[in-house]
Amino acid sequence: MMYVVFIMSVLYVVGFIGFSSKPSPVYGGMSLVVSGGLGCGIVMSSGGSFLGLVVFLVYLGGMMVVFGYTIAMATEEYPETWGSNVVVLSAFLVGLLMEVFMVMWLFSGEHELVGFYFSGLEGLMVLGEGGFEYVREDYSGGASLYSYGFWFLAMAGWMLFVSIFITIEVTRKRY
Amino acid sequence: MPYIYINIILAFVISLIGTLIYRSHLISSLLCLEGMILSLFTLNALLSLNINFTLSTIVPLILLVFAACEAAVGLALLIIISNTYGLDYVQNLNLLQC
Repeated sequence: MMYVVFIMSVLYVVGFIGFSSKPSPVYGGMSLVVSGGLGCGIVMSSGGSFLGLVVFLVYLGGMMVVFGYTIAMATEEYPETWGSNVVVLSAFLVGLLMEVFMVMWLFSGEHELVGFYFSGLEGLMVLGEGGFEYVREDYSGGASLYSYGFWFLAMAGWMLFVSIFITIEVTRKRY
Repeated sequence: MPYIYINIILAFVISLIGTLIYRSHLISSLLCLEGMILSLFTLNALLSLNINFTLSTIVPLILLVFAACEAAVGLALLIIISNTYGLDYVQNLNLLQC
């Protein structure tokens, strides 16, 4: 499996086409979860295991769960999937065809994309473990949020706190 | 630049188009907005890791915090629309008020 990261990125785009063709939001949420998992795999193959964990825990486990509850509350009786509606299926097939043509065009070698290559380590192999690097990059970057990026932390924490009050105030009944 | 960056930027463009085109549900557009944020997170994380600039791995984390706040406000708006009309169909939003 030499090209595993490239295949993961192609499946990532296919997942995005899946929820961008607007089926019923139940299936859109499922496609976004699949794309999130594949994005985590892509990030982890460049050595970013902390950021992959953040994607799974915070993004999929936090935000997507809230989306799932809201979708379950505001959904319809007969949700339409990719196969039950011609519009959704044709949008999905157009996007899939576009992606296949793009991959074929990239591998044909008849383009003039300056600076793009395929033989770098990022597209092919998974970054090795154990003695490969002496500084865990994403852990120390995440930890520098608390030391060098203290103002980022203060602003982000204050923004999360204020957004609670914003949400309460928006959903207040006005009569 | 490796080829996977083309795929991730393409994913951003696809979900941008999905945000701007409405079908029946409003929450589908919010899902496409979340897809935009996910592709931006992936792109930022990959760039920070591949150019070995350790301090800029703060940027995907802060982006995720902002995305959480934005999703909260978007879902709150969806809730009050759904309270008034029962469903979040876009064709119901013709009164310019909730």
